[in-house]
Amino acid sequence: MRPVFTGLLAIVAVAGLSGVSLAVWPIGEPPRLAELEGDAQRGGYLARAGGCIACHSDPDSSRPALTGGAPIKTGFGTFVPPNLTPHETSGIGAWSIDDFARAVRQGVAPDGAPYYPAFPYAFYGHLSDQDIADMWAAFQGVATHEVTGGESEITFPFNLRFGLKLWRAAYAEGPPTDADPERSEAWNRGRWLVNGVAHCGACHTDRNLLGGRRASRSLAGSDDLPGGGKVPAIRSGDLGQAGWTVSSLAYGLKSGVMPDGDTFGSGMGEVVRHGTAWLSEEDRRAMAAFLLDKDETGDGS
Amino acid sequence: MTFKQLVLGGAAIASLSVTAFAHSGATGLVKERMDAMKTMGDAVKRIKPMMSGEAAYDEAAVREAAQAIAEEAGTAMTEKFPEGSTDHPSEVLPRTWDEWDRFTGLAEQLEVAANGLARAAGNGRHGDGHMMGDQSGMMGQDMMSGQSVMMGGGMMMGNGEFPEHMTASQIGQMPADGAFMMLTQTCSACHDHYRKDDD
Repeated sequence: MRPVFTGLLAIVAVAGLSGVSLAVWPIGEPPRLAELEGDAQRGGYLARAGGCIACHSDPDSSRPALTGGAPIKTGFGTFVPPNLTPHETSGIGAWSIDDFARAVRQGVAPDGAPYYPAFPYAFYGHLSDQDIADMWAAFQGVATHEVTGGESEITFPFNLRFGLKLWRAAYAEGPPTDADPERSEAWNRGRWLVNGVAHCGACHTDRNLLGGRRASRSLAGSDDLPGGGKVPAIRSGDLGQAGWTVSSLAYGLKSGVMPDGDTFGSGMGEVVRHGTAWLSEEDRRAMAAFLLDKDETGDGS
Repeated sequence: MTFKQLVLGGAAIASLSVTAFAHSGATGLVKERMDAMKTMGDAVKRIKPMMSGEAAYDEAAVREAAQAIAEEAGTAMTEKFPEGSTDHPSEVLPRTWDEWDRFTGLAEQLEVAANGLARAAGNGRHGDGHMMGDQSGMMGQDMMSGQSVMMGGGMMMGNGEFPEHMTASQIGQMPADGAFMMLTQTCSACHDHYRKDDD
């Protein structure tokens, strides 16, 4: 083959490749987190929905909100939810928004150490960059406090954090939150909330010996909560049998009232008081619709 | 049968009946408070659909239900919980007597909320449609700052307790559905801490 021809061929080949590359070459990179403008109001709403405030505050202590939650006693040790105020050393004041994003969505601390699954980050992986920026704005707006709830005490061998890397690999994926085009907007919004940020499955899905959720038992209840607590099954059939409708469940998430006139206990009252009671009526109805597997949120459903 | 056997038998029967008496007494008390809880639950059930908008609002029914709850709240409730009264099928947790002040505080708060709801009955429903959470609806405000969403700021404190000095007449100024929520969340706050999980 003549060298000139070979050269031409090479040029044509390169040009062809470039064409393909050009077509898929990403331009206009998504804005980096730090460049996004956060909406603190919306972020506060997500922090309520996500239970950040509920878990990282301990109203029974005399400490201000978000300076650290009540200790959670588990078979692996006692976890103390940390201070999330902007304090430099006690809180998250020294963090960047990228640290915050990695902590919330991936469960990895700024120093690279994996968090324990007592922090339900697996349910927060679906939060968008904008969601994160909004939450960051909300957290930056709270008053700074140095006081904390103390240190976690994890028992051996669970105190060896490297084991958590294996745990992450096996269990760190949350239940699906992606939109299903076959279902209504309300059902999809409900799925995003229930399976995602509201993390109902953190309690209502049973866990195995390693504290990993049994995916096949999603929302089927558990009798092995920290402290020996029990929670009921909340799959659509279970809820229907217990007499819930979309309307009554949406109202239950606001008031704590059950179909028989009884009210929630065993910690669900707190979930309502600190979390779902703060949500919009529309979001509570969406959660109820998804949980009951209905597309409609009207009174008749 | 010797005299000794007679005495022993008699003592055995006496001790049995004492046990039976004590037991039936406890059962009676447990039953009494379960009935009281049922009375309150029934009252809540009657008016809940009016508060959620599922049924037409009936002022008289709301007042009557609130009064029925008020009668069972406060000391009427706490005197049905003597220390250690945990006999089957009671669902009370022993912690109740370790935290007796808090327990009685919530029982008194329930009475305040129920009396408040009775006064608020004439105010009707506030309705829904707030942009932000309905906790703000309890305050009659539609807007809440991001700060108060983060730090609290509803009518209830984080632990389910009312702010100090909250009175029934203050609650009586609220829309009835807001007062009702303060009442039901008080029930829940107590159930959260002092009632066993359902089986």
